[in-house]
Amino acid sequence: MSCQRLKKWFDERYDFEGIRSFTKHKLIPVHKYGILYYTGGLTMFLFALQFITGMVLSFYYVPYHEQAHKSIIEIVTKLNMGWLFRSLHHWGAQLAIGVLFIHVFGTLLLKAYRKPRELIWITGFILLAISIFFGLSGYFLLWDERAFAAVRVATGGAGNLPVIGGFIKSFLRGGLDVTGETLIRFYGFHVSVLPFFTLLLIGIHVLLVQYHGMSIPLSQKDNVKKYEPFFPNVLYKDFILWLIALGVVVTLSVFLPPEIGKKADPLAAPPENIKPEWYFLFLFQTLKLFPGDIMGLNGEMIAIILISLGILFFFLIPFLDRKSARDEKSTAFTWIGIIYTVYFVVMTIIGFIT
Amino acid sequence: MRLKFSLITRREFLNTLFGGWLIAFLSGSFYALLKFAYPTLGKEPDFVVLNAKDFTDIPANSVKPFPWGGKLGFIFKRPDNKTVALKGVCTHMECNIAYKPEDKKFYCPCHKGWFDMDGKVIEGPPPKPLEFFELTQEGEKLIVAKKGIKVELPKA
Repeated sequence: MSCQRLKKWFDERYDFEGIRSFTKHKLIPVHKYGILYYTGGLTMFLFALQFITGMVLSFYYVPYHEQAHKSIIEIVTKLNMGWLFRSLHHWGAQLAIGVLFIHVFGTLLLKAYRKPRELIWITGFILLAISIFFGLSGYFLLWDERAFAAVRVATGGAGNLPVIGGFIKSFLRGGLDVTGETLIRFYGFHVSVLPFFTLLLIGIHVLLVQYHGMSIPLSQKDNVKKYEPFFPNVLYKDFILWLIALGVVVTLSVFLPPEIGKKADPLAAPPENIKPEWYFLFLFQTLKLFPGDIMGLNGEMIAIILISLGILFFFLIPFLDRKSARDEKSTAFTWIGIIYTVYFVVMTIIGFIT
Repeated sequence: MRLKFSLITRREFLNTLFGGWLIAFLSGSFYALLKFAYPTLGKEPDFVVLNAKDFTDIPANSVKPFPWGGKLGFIFKRPDNKTVALKGVCTHMECNIAYKPEDKKFYCPCHKGWFDMDGKVIEGPPPKPLEFFELTQEGEKLIVAKKGIKVELPKA
Protein backbone atom coordinates (compact mmCIF):
# COMPACT_ATOMS: atom_id res chain seq x y z
CA MET A 1 0.00 0.00 0.00
CA SER A 2 2.58 2.51 1.10
CA CYS A 3 4.80 1.19 -1.65
CA GLN A 4 2.12 2.08 -4.18
CA ARG A 5 1.88 5.56 -2.71
CA LEU A 6 5.64 6.00 -2.92
CA LYS A 7 5.55 4.89 -6.53
CA LYS A 8 2.78 7.37 -7.22
CA TRP A 9 4.73 10.10 -5.48
CA PHE A 10 7.67 9.59 -7.81
CA ASP A 11 5.51 9.12 -10.90
CA GLU A 12 3.82 12.45 -10.31
CA ARG A 13 7.16 14.17 -10.25
CA TYR A 14 9.42 12.25 -12.63
CA ASP A 15 8.98 10.60 -15.96
CA PHE A 16 10.24 7.05 -15.66
CA GLU A 17 8.86 5.88 -18.98
CA GLY A 18 12.26 5.88 -20.68
CA ILE A 19 13.99 3.88 -17.94
CA ARG A 20 11.07 1.47 -17.71
CA SER A 21 11.03 0.68 -21.38
CA PHE A 22 14.83 0.42 -21.42
CA THR A 23 14.85 -2.15 -18.63
CA LYS A 24 12.05 -4.05 -20.29
CA HIS A 25 13.90 -4.22 -23.59
CA LYS A 26 17.47 -4.76 -22.44
CA LEU A 27 18.44 -8.08 -23.99
CA ILE A 28 21.58 -10.15 -23.67
CA PRO A 29 22.58 -12.38 -26.60
CA VAL A 30 23.09 -16.05 -25.80
CA HIS A 31 26.13 -17.76 -27.33
CA LYS A 32 29.01 -19.93 -26.24
CA TYR A 33 31.22 -17.09 -24.97
CA GLY A 34 28.33 -15.56 -23.04
CA ILE A 35 30.01 -16.28 -19.72
CA LEU A 36 32.46 -13.43 -20.36
CA TYR A 37 29.59 -10.95 -20.15
CA TYR A 38 29.53 -11.61 -16.43
CA THR A 39 33.15 -10.65 -15.76
CA GLY A 40 32.49 -6.91 -15.97
CA GLY A 41 29.66 -6.97 -13.45
CA LEU A 42 31.69 -9.21 -11.18
CA THR A 43 34.63 -6.79 -11.27
CA MET A 44 32.27 -3.96 -10.39
CA PHE A 45 30.83 -5.91 -7.48
CA LEU A 46 34.30 -6.65 -6.13
CA PHE A 47 35.23 -2.99 -6.48
CA ALA A 48 32.14 -2.02 -4.49
CA LEU A 49 33.30 -4.42 -1.80
CA GLN A 50 36.73 -2.71 -1.81
CA PHE A 51 35.11 0.69 -1.38
CA ILE A 52 33.16 -0.51 1.66
CA THR A 53 35.99 -2.35 3.42
CA GLY A 54 38.38 0.48 2.53
CA MET A 55 36.14 3.12 4.05
CA VAL A 56 36.11 1.44 7.44
CA LEU A 57 39.82 0.65 7.34
CA SER A 58 40.55 4.33 6.78
CA PHE A 59 39.00 5.07 10.19
CA TYR A 60 41.91 3.32 11.88
CA TYR A 61 44.88 3.37 9.54
CA VAL A 62 47.53 6.01 10.30
CA PRO A 63 49.25 7.19 7.12
CA TYR A 64 52.46 8.28 8.81
CA HIS A 65 55.65 6.31 8.33
CA GLU A 66 56.39 5.90 12.00
CA GLN A 67 52.95 4.54 12.82
CA ALA A 68 51.62 2.99 9.63
CA HIS A 69 53.02 -0.48 10.16
CA LYS A 70 52.00 -0.54 13.82
CA SER A 71 48.51 0.75 13.08
CA ILE A 72 47.87 -2.20 10.78
CA ILE A 73 49.04 -4.64 13.42
CA GLU A 74 46.66 -2.94 15.82
CA ILE A 75 43.78 -3.11 13.38
CA VAL A 76 44.36 -6.83 13.06
CA THR A 77 45.06 -7.67 16.69
CA LYS A 78 43.13 -5.21 18.82
CA LEU A 79 40.06 -3.95 17.00
CA ASN A 80 36.74 -5.72 16.80
CA MET A 81 36.62 -7.57 13.47
CA GLY A 82 39.72 -5.71 12.35
CA TRP A 83 41.37 -8.95 11.23
CA LEU A 84 38.35 -9.70 9.05
CA PHE A 85 38.17 -6.34 7.33
CA ARG A 86 41.88 -6.16 6.61
CA SER A 87 41.67 -9.69 5.23
CA LEU A 88 38.58 -8.88 3.16
CA HIS A 89 40.26 -5.81 1.71
CA HIS A 90 43.33 -7.85 0.81
CA TRP A 91 41.54 -10.80 -0.77
CA GLY A 92 38.90 -8.59 -2.35
CA ALA A 93 41.71 -6.74 -4.11
CA GLN A 94 43.38 -9.94 -5.29
CA LEU A 95 40.14 -11.27 -6.70
CA ALA A 96 39.12 -7.94 -8.21
CA ILE A 97 42.41 -7.66 -10.10
CA GLY A 98 42.19 -11.31 -11.16
CA VAL A 99 38.67 -10.98 -12.53
CA LEU A 100 39.61 -7.66 -14.10
CA PHE A 101 42.40 -9.34 -16.09
CA ILE A 102 39.97 -12.05 -17.26
CA HIS A 103 37.59 -9.27 -18.30
CA VAL A 104 40.37 -7.42 -20.17
CA PHE A 105 41.77 -10.44 -22.00
CA GLY A 106 38.25 -11.68 -22.76
CA THR A 107 37.45 -8.33 -24.35
CA LEU A 108 40.72 -8.44 -26.26
CA LEU A 109 40.26 -11.96 -27.62
CA LEU A 110 36.60 -11.53 -28.57
CA LYS A 111 37.42 -8.13 -30.11
CA ALA A 112 34.63 -6.45 -28.18
CA TYR A 113 36.74 -3.28 -28.50
CA ARG A 114 35.93 -2.93 -32.20
CA LYS A 115 33.93 -0.09 -33.67
CA PRO A 116 31.75 1.46 -32.24
CA ARG A 117 33.00 0.53 -28.76
CA GLU A 118 36.45 2.18 -28.79
CA LEU A 119 35.57 4.52 -25.93
CA ILE A 120 34.56 1.58 -23.75
CA TRP A 121 38.01 0.13 -24.37
CA ILE A 122 39.71 3.44 -23.54
CA THR A 123 37.81 3.97 -20.28
CA GLY A 124 38.44 0.32 -19.44
CA PHE A 125 42.15 0.69 -20.14
CA ILE A 126 42.40 3.71 -17.84
CA LEU A 127 40.46 1.77 -15.18
CA LEU A 128 42.96 -1.07 -15.53
CA ALA A 129 45.87 1.33 -15.03
CA ILE A 130 44.08 2.87 -12.04
CA SER A 131 43.43 -0.57 -10.56
CA ILE A 132 47.08 -1.52 -10.81
CA PHE A 133 48.06 1.74 -9.18
CA PHE A 134 45.42 1.01 -6.53
CA GLY A 135 47.20 -2.27 -5.90
CA LEU A 136 50.66 -0.75 -5.73
CA SER A 137 49.64 2.16 -3.50
CA GLY A 138 47.53 -0.18 -1.36
CA TYR A 139 50.26 -2.57 -0.51
CA PHE A 140 52.75 0.24 0.01
CA LEU A 141 50.51 1.39 2.87
CA LEU A 142 51.63 -1.69 4.80
CA TRP A 143 55.05 0.00 5.00
CA ASP A 144 56.83 -3.33 5.15
CA GLU A 145 60.08 -4.39 3.50
CA ARG A 146 58.53 -5.90 0.42
CA ALA A 147 56.24 -2.96 -0.28
CA PHE A 148 59.13 -0.57 0.17
CA ALA A 149 61.34 -2.36 -2.35
CA ALA A 150 58.45 -2.77 -4.79
CA VAL A 151 57.65 0.93 -4.79
CA ARG A 152 61.32 1.81 -5.20
CA VAL A 153 61.49 -0.43 -8.25
CA ALA A 154 58.16 0.68 -9.72
CA THR A 155 58.77 4.41 -9.34
CA GLY A 156 62.42 4.02 -10.31
CA GLY A 157 61.32 2.12 -13.40
CA ALA A 158 59.01 4.94 -14.40
CA GLY A 159 62.01 7.23 -13.93
CA ASN A 160 63.75 5.47 -16.82
CA LEU A 161 61.27 6.74 -19.38
CA PRO A 162 62.90 9.28 -21.63
CA VAL A 163 62.05 12.98 -21.11
CA ILE A 164 59.11 12.68 -18.67
CA GLY A 165 60.59 9.91 -16.51
CA GLY A 166 62.28 12.12 -13.94
CA PHE A 167 59.18 14.23 -13.50
CA ILE A 168 56.90 11.21 -12.99
CA LYS A 169 59.34 9.62 -10.58
CA SER A 170 59.67 12.57 -8.24
CA PHE A 171 55.97 13.36 -8.54
CA LEU A 172 55.08 9.85 -7.38
CA ARG A 173 57.77 9.72 -4.70
CA GLY A 174 57.14 13.18 -3.33
CA GLY A 175 60.88 13.74 -3.43
CA LEU A 176 64.06 12.14 -4.70
CA ASP A 177 63.73 8.95 -2.68
CA VAL A 178 60.98 6.72 -1.39
CA THR A 179 60.36 8.13 2.09
CA GLY A 180 57.57 8.93 4.53
CA GLU A 181 56.52 11.63 2.06
CA THR A 182 55.82 8.89 -0.46
CA LEU A 183 53.59 7.12 2.03
CA ILE A 184 51.39 10.19 2.56
CA ARG A 185 51.23 10.76 -1.18
CA PHE A 186 50.27 7.16 -1.90
CA TYR A 187 47.65 7.30 0.82
CA GLY A 188 46.20 10.38 -0.86
CA PHE A 189 46.13 8.56 -4.18
CA HIS A 190 44.69 5.42 -2.67
CA VAL A 191 41.84 6.96 -0.70
CA SER A 192 40.95 10.09 -2.64
CA VAL A 193 42.38 10.57 -6.12
CA LEU A 194 41.98 7.04 -7.45
CA PRO A 195 38.52 6.33 -5.96
CA PHE A 196 37.15 9.53 -7.48
CA PHE A 197 38.39 8.74 -10.97
CA THR A 198 37.35 5.12 -10.59
CA LEU A 199 33.76 6.10 -9.86
CA LEU A 200 33.71 8.62 -12.68
CA LEU A 201 35.14 6.18 -15.22
CA ILE A 202 33.04 3.20 -14.11
CA GLY A 203 30.01 5.48 -14.55
CA ILE A 204 31.03 6.36 -18.12
CA HIS A 205 32.10 2.77 -18.90
CA VAL A 206 28.80 1.25 -17.74
CA LEU A 207 26.70 3.96 -19.38
CA LEU A 208 28.46 3.36 -22.69
CA VAL A 209 27.84 -0.37 -22.40
CA GLN A 210 24.14 0.37 -21.93
CA TYR A 211 24.22 2.69 -24.91
CA HIS A 212 25.88 0.24 -27.30
CA GLY A 213 24.43 -2.96 -25.89
CA MET A 214 26.48 -6.14 -25.57
CA SER A 215 29.06 -6.80 -28.25
CA ILE A 216 28.62 -10.05 -30.11
CA PRO A 217 31.89 -11.77 -31.11
CA LEU A 218 32.37 -11.89 -34.88
CA SER A 219 32.48 -15.68 -34.90
CA GLN A 220 29.17 -15.88 -33.06
CA LYS A 221 27.27 -13.36 -35.19
CA ASP A 222 25.29 -16.09 -36.94
CA ASN A 223 25.14 -18.41 -33.95
CA VAL A 224 23.03 -16.26 -31.69
CA LYS A 225 19.80 -18.22 -31.51
CA LYS A 226 18.09 -16.29 -28.76
CA TYR A 227 18.26 -13.30 -26.50
CA GLU A 228 17.76 -13.33 -22.76
CA PRO A 229 16.11 -10.41 -20.95
CA PHE A 230 18.55 -8.63 -18.62
CA PHE A 231 15.79 -8.00 -16.07
CA PRO A 232 15.49 -10.28 -14.29
CA ASN A 233 17.15 -13.36 -15.89
CA VAL A 234 20.71 -12.12 -16.40
CA LEU A 235 20.67 -9.94 -13.31
CA TYR A 236 19.77 -12.93 -11.16
CA LYS A 237 22.63 -14.88 -12.67
CA ASP A 238 24.85 -11.88 -11.86
CA PHE A 239 23.65 -12.03 -8.26
CA ILE A 240 24.44 -15.74 -8.03
CA LEU A 241 27.96 -15.09 -9.23
CA TRP A 242 28.41 -12.14 -6.86
CA LEU A 243 27.27 -14.25 -3.95
CA ILE A 244 29.74 -16.98 -4.87
CA ALA A 245 32.51 -14.38 -5.19
CA LEU A 246 31.63 -12.95 -1.78
CA GLY A 247 31.75 -16.46 -0.38
CA VAL A 248 35.18 -17.02 -1.89
CA VAL A 249 36.50 -13.70 -0.55
CA VAL A 250 35.18 -14.37 2.95
CA THR A 251 36.46 -17.96 2.97
CA LEU A 252 39.94 -16.92 1.86
CA SER A 253 39.92 -14.06 4.38
CA VAL A 254 39.07 -16.34 7.26
CA PHE A 255 41.39 -19.22 6.40
CA LEU A 256 44.29 -17.42 4.75
CA PRO A 257 44.72 -14.05 6.46
CA PRO A 258 47.42 -12.01 4.70
CA GLU A 259 50.70 -11.56 6.50
CA ILE A 260 52.58 -8.37 7.09
CA GLY A 261 56.34 -8.28 6.66
CA LYS A 262 58.95 -6.61 8.80
CA LYS A 263 58.66 -2.84 9.08
CA ALA A 264 60.39 -1.10 6.19
CA ASP A 265 63.87 0.20 6.88
CA PRO A 266 65.19 2.51 4.16
CA LEU A 267 68.75 1.48 5.04
CA ALA A 268 68.26 -2.30 5.03
CA ALA A 269 68.58 -4.64 2.09
CA PRO A 270 65.32 -6.19 0.97
CA PRO A 271 64.76 -9.82 2.00
CA GLU A 272 66.04 -12.70 -0.10
CA ASN A 273 63.85 -13.85 -3.00
CA ILE A 274 61.68 -10.77 -2.86
CA LYS A 275 58.78 -10.78 -5.29
CA PRO A 276 56.13 -8.22 -6.09
CA GLU A 277 52.38 -8.85 -6.06
CA TRP A 278 51.39 -11.45 -8.64
CA TYR A 279 50.01 -8.93 -11.12
CA PHE A 280 53.43 -7.30 -11.40
CA LEU A 281 55.22 -10.59 -11.95
CA PHE A 282 55.03 -10.39 -15.74
CA LEU A 283 56.78 -7.01 -15.63
CA PHE A 284 59.22 -8.30 -13.02
CA GLN A 285 60.15 -11.25 -15.23
CA THR A 286 60.45 -9.01 -18.27
CA LEU A 287 62.91 -6.75 -16.45
CA LYS A 288 65.00 -9.78 -15.51
CA LEU A 289 65.26 -10.80 -19.19
CA PHE A 290 67.23 -7.73 -20.17
CA PRO A 291 70.95 -7.62 -19.49
CA GLY A 292 72.42 -4.41 -18.10
CA ASP A 293 74.12 -3.55 -21.31
CA ILE A 294 72.76 -4.06 -24.83
CA MET A 295 75.33 -3.09 -27.44
CA GLY A 296 76.57 -0.22 -25.36
CA LEU A 297 73.11 1.05 -24.48
CA ASN A 298 71.45 1.03 -21.08
CA GLY A 299 69.49 -2.25 -21.03
CA GLU A 300 67.16 -1.05 -18.33
CA MET A 301 66.05 1.95 -20.34
CA ILE A 302 65.50 -0.24 -23.39
CA ALA A 303 63.40 -2.61 -21.28
CA ILE A 304 61.23 0.21 -19.96
CA ILE A 305 60.80 1.72 -23.42
CA LEU A 306 59.83 -1.64 -24.92
CA ILE A 307 57.35 -2.31 -22.12
CA SER A 308 55.85 1.15 -22.62
CA LEU A 309 55.55 0.56 -26.35
CA GLY A 310 53.86 -2.78 -25.69
CA ILE A 311 51.36 -1.09 -23.40
CA LEU A 312 50.81 1.76 -25.86
CA PHE A 313 50.13 -0.71 -28.67
CA PHE A 314 47.68 -2.56 -26.43
CA PHE A 315 45.88 0.72 -25.74
CA LEU A 316 45.65 1.55 -29.45
CA ILE A 317 44.44 -1.86 -30.62
CA PRO A 318 40.86 -0.71 -31.41
CA PHE A 319 42.28 1.92 -33.76
CA LEU A 320 44.89 -0.32 -35.37
CA ASP A 321 42.61 -3.28 -35.99
CA ARG A 322 40.99 -1.87 -39.13
CA LYS A 323 39.56 -5.19 -40.29
CA SER A 324 37.44 -5.98 -37.26
CA ALA A 325 36.25 -2.36 -37.28
CA ARG A 326 34.63 -3.26 -40.61
CA ASP A 327 33.26 -6.46 -39.05
CA GLU A 328 35.67 -8.59 -41.04
CA LYS A 329 37.65 -11.51 -39.71
CA SER A 330 40.93 -10.17 -38.37
CA THR A 331 43.34 -13.06 -37.89
CA ALA A 332 46.39 -10.89 -37.24
CA PHE A 333 44.77 -9.29 -34.21
CA THR A 334 43.49 -12.61 -32.96
CA TRP A 335 47.15 -13.69 -32.82
CA ILE A 336 48.20 -10.42 -31.24
CA GLY A 337 45.54 -10.94 -28.59
CA ILE A 338 46.71 -14.50 -28.01
CA ILE A 339 50.34 -13.36 -27.76
CA TYR A 340 49.48 -10.72 -25.16
CA THR A 341 47.41 -13.18 -23.14
CA VAL A 342 49.94 -16.01 -23.32
CA TYR A 343 52.82 -13.67 -22.50
CA PHE A 344 50.99 -12.38 -19.43
CA VAL A 345 49.98 -15.84 -18.22
CA VAL A 346 53.31 -17.55 -18.89
CA MET A 347 55.44 -14.78 -17.40
CA THR A 348 53.19 -14.66 -14.33
CA ILE A 349 53.53 -18.41 -13.84
CA ILE A 350 57.31 -18.34 -14.36
CA GLY A 351 57.54 -15.49 -11.87
CA PHE A 352 55.43 -17.43 -9.44
CA ILE A 353 57.35 -20.69 -9.48
CA THR A 354 60.94 -19.43 -9.68
CA MET B 1 26.92 52.96 -33.42
CA ARG B 2 26.13 50.18 -35.85
CA LEU B 3 28.82 49.05 -38.25
CA LYS B 4 27.84 48.29 -41.80
CA PHE B 5 30.21 45.38 -42.14
CA SER B 6 31.74 43.14 -39.58
CA LEU B 7 34.24 40.30 -40.03
CA ILE B 8 32.72 38.32 -37.22
CA THR B 9 29.29 37.99 -35.73
CA ARG B 10 28.47 39.04 -32.20
CA ARG B 11 28.12 35.35 -31.28
CA GLU B 12 31.55 34.50 -32.66
CA PHE B 13 33.07 37.40 -30.78
CA LEU B 14 31.51 36.35 -27.49
CA ASN B 15 32.37 32.69 -27.95
CA THR B 16 35.98 33.56 -28.64
CA LEU B 17 36.11 35.90 -25.70
CA PHE B 18 34.58 33.46 -23.21
CA GLY B 19 36.32 30.45 -24.73
CA GLY B 20 39.66 32.19 -24.43
CA TRP B 21 38.86 33.21 -20.90
CA LEU B 22 37.93 29.63 -20.03
CA ILE B 23 41.11 28.20 -21.55
CA ALA B 24 43.25 30.79 -19.76
CA PHE B 25 41.47 30.13 -16.49
CA LEU B 26 41.71 26.35 -16.75
CA SER B 27 45.34 26.27 -17.81
CA GLY B 28 46.28 28.73 -15.07
CA SER B 29 44.47 26.64 -12.48
CA PHE B 30 45.99 23.44 -13.77
CA TYR B 31 49.46 24.94 -13.69
CA ALA B 32 49.00 26.10 -10.10
CA LEU B 33 47.61 22.70 -9.13
CA LEU B 34 50.53 20.89 -10.67
CA LYS B 35 53.01 23.31 -9.15
CA PHE B 36 51.56 22.60 -5.71
CA ALA B 37 51.26 18.84 -6.21
CA TYR B 38 54.82 18.52 -7.47
CA PRO B 39 57.12 18.07 -4.49
CA THR B 40 59.96 20.36 -3.58
CA LEU B 41 62.95 18.19 -4.25
CA GLY B 42 65.82 17.75 -1.91
CA LYS B 43 69.26 17.04 -3.22
CA GLU B 44 71.51 14.08 -2.84
CA PRO B 45 74.32 15.19 -0.51
CA ASP B 46 77.79 15.95 -1.85
CA PHE B 47 79.30 14.66 1.35
CA VAL B 48 78.34 13.46 4.81
CA VAL B 49 80.32 13.69 8.01
CA LEU B 50 80.35 10.70 10.32
CA ASN B 51 81.76 10.06 13.73
CA ALA B 52 85.01 8.17 13.11
CA LYS B 53 84.76 6.28 16.39
CA ASP B 54 81.61 4.45 15.21
CA PHE B 55 83.44 2.98 12.27
CA THR B 56 86.86 2.01 13.64
CA ASP B 57 86.17 -1.54 14.71
CA ILE B 58 84.60 -3.00 11.59
CA PRO B 59 85.94 -6.53 11.14
CA ALA B 60 87.68 -7.27 7.86
CA ASN B 61 85.49 -8.53 5.03
CA SER B 62 82.32 -6.81 6.28
CA VAL B 63 80.32 -3.63 5.89
CA LYS B 64 78.73 -1.12 8.21
CA PRO B 65 75.80 0.96 6.95
CA PHE B 66 75.52 4.72 7.24
CA PRO B 67 72.83 7.11 5.95
CA TRP B 68 73.87 8.80 2.70
CA GLY B 69 71.12 11.39 2.62
CA GLY B 70 68.01 9.25 2.57
CA LYS B 71 69.85 6.39 0.94
CA LEU B 72 72.02 3.58 2.17
CA GLY B 73 75.79 3.93 2.28
CA PHE B 74 78.39 1.35 3.30
CA ILE B 75 81.73 1.71 4.98
CA PHE B 76 83.41 -1.40 3.62
CA LYS B 77 86.43 -3.01 5.26
CA ARG B 78 87.85 -5.13 2.48
CA PRO B 79 89.39 -8.52 3.17
CA ASP B 80 92.79 -6.88 2.66
CA ASN B 81 91.90 -4.43 5.50
CA LYS B 82 91.58 -1.43 3.21
CA THR B 83 88.58 0.71 4.15
CA VAL B 84 86.41 2.23 1.43
CA ALA B 85 82.98 3.83 1.22
CA LEU B 86 80.29 3.24 -1.36
CA LYS B 87 76.63 3.82 -2.05
CA GLY B 88 74.66 0.70 -1.07
CA VAL B 89 72.10 1.14 -3.81
CA CYS B 90 71.81 -1.06 -6.86
CA THR B 91 72.32 0.80 -10.13
CA HIS B 92 69.50 -1.18 -11.76
CA MET B 93 66.31 -0.33 -9.88
CA GLU B 94 67.63 1.37 -6.75
CA CYS B 95 67.10 -1.50 -4.35
CA ASN B 96 69.43 -1.65 -1.39
CA ILE B 97 72.24 -4.14 -1.84
CA ALA B 98 73.77 -6.48 0.70
CA TYR B 99 77.36 -7.68 1.13
CA LYS B 100 77.93 -11.43 0.97
CA PRO B 101 81.16 -12.03 2.93
CA GLU B 102 81.36 -15.69 1.94
CA ASP B 103 81.38 -14.83 -1.78
CA LYS B 104 83.15 -11.47 -1.31
CA LYS B 105 80.52 -9.90 -3.53
CA PHE B 106 77.69 -7.38 -3.33
CA TYR B 107 74.27 -8.72 -4.12
CA CYS B 108 70.91 -7.16 -5.01
CA PRO B 109 67.99 -9.45 -4.15
CA CYS B 110 65.42 -7.55 -6.24
CA HIS B 111 66.52 -8.75 -9.67
CA LYS B 112 69.55 -10.84 -8.74
CA GLY B 113 72.38 -8.48 -9.58
CA TRP B 114 75.95 -9.28 -8.47
CA PHE B 115 78.87 -6.89 -8.07
CA ASP B 116 82.45 -7.67 -7.16
CA MET B 117 84.35 -5.95 -4.35
CA ASP B 118 85.26 -3.05 -6.62
CA GLY B 119 81.64 -2.58 -7.57
CA LYS B 120 81.99 -4.01 -11.08
CA VAL B 121 78.90 -5.81 -12.42
CA ILE B 122 79.50 -9.55 -12.61
CA GLU B 123 76.05 -10.89 -13.26
CA GLY B 124 72.45 -9.81 -13.68
CA PRO B 125 70.74 -6.71 -15.03
CA PRO B 126 72.58 -3.76 -13.37
CA PRO B 127 73.80 -1.40 -16.09
CA LYS B 128 76.52 0.44 -14.17
CA PRO B 129 79.10 -0.30 -11.48
CA LEU B 130 78.42 0.72 -7.89
CA GLU B 131 79.28 4.26 -6.90
CA PHE B 132 82.33 4.59 -4.63
CA PHE B 133 83.09 7.61 -2.46
CA GLU B 134 86.23 9.33 -1.24
CA LEU B 135 86.91 8.57 2.38
CA THR B 136 89.02 10.92 4.47
CA GLN B 137 89.53 11.25 8.18
CA GLU B 138 90.04 14.54 9.97
CA GLY B 139 90.56 13.91 13.65
CA GLU B 140 87.30 12.59 15.04
CA LYS B 141 85.49 13.13 11.80
CA LEU B 142 85.10 10.67 9.00
CA ILE B 143 84.21 12.43 5.78
CA VAL B 144 82.51 10.57 2.98
CA ALA B 145 82.34 12.60 -0.20
CA LYS B 146 81.43 12.12 -3.83
CA LYS B 147 84.44 11.65 -6.05
CA GLY B 148 85.86 14.97 -7.14
CA ILE B 149 84.09 17.04 -4.49
CA LYS B 150 86.25 19.34 -2.36
CA VAL B 151 84.98 19.30 1.19
CA GLU B 152 85.50 22.37 3.28
CA LEU B 153 84.31 21.90 6.82
CA PRO B 154 83.53 24.98 8.89
CA LYS B 155 86.26 25.59 11.47
CA ALA B 156 84.83 24.78 14.85
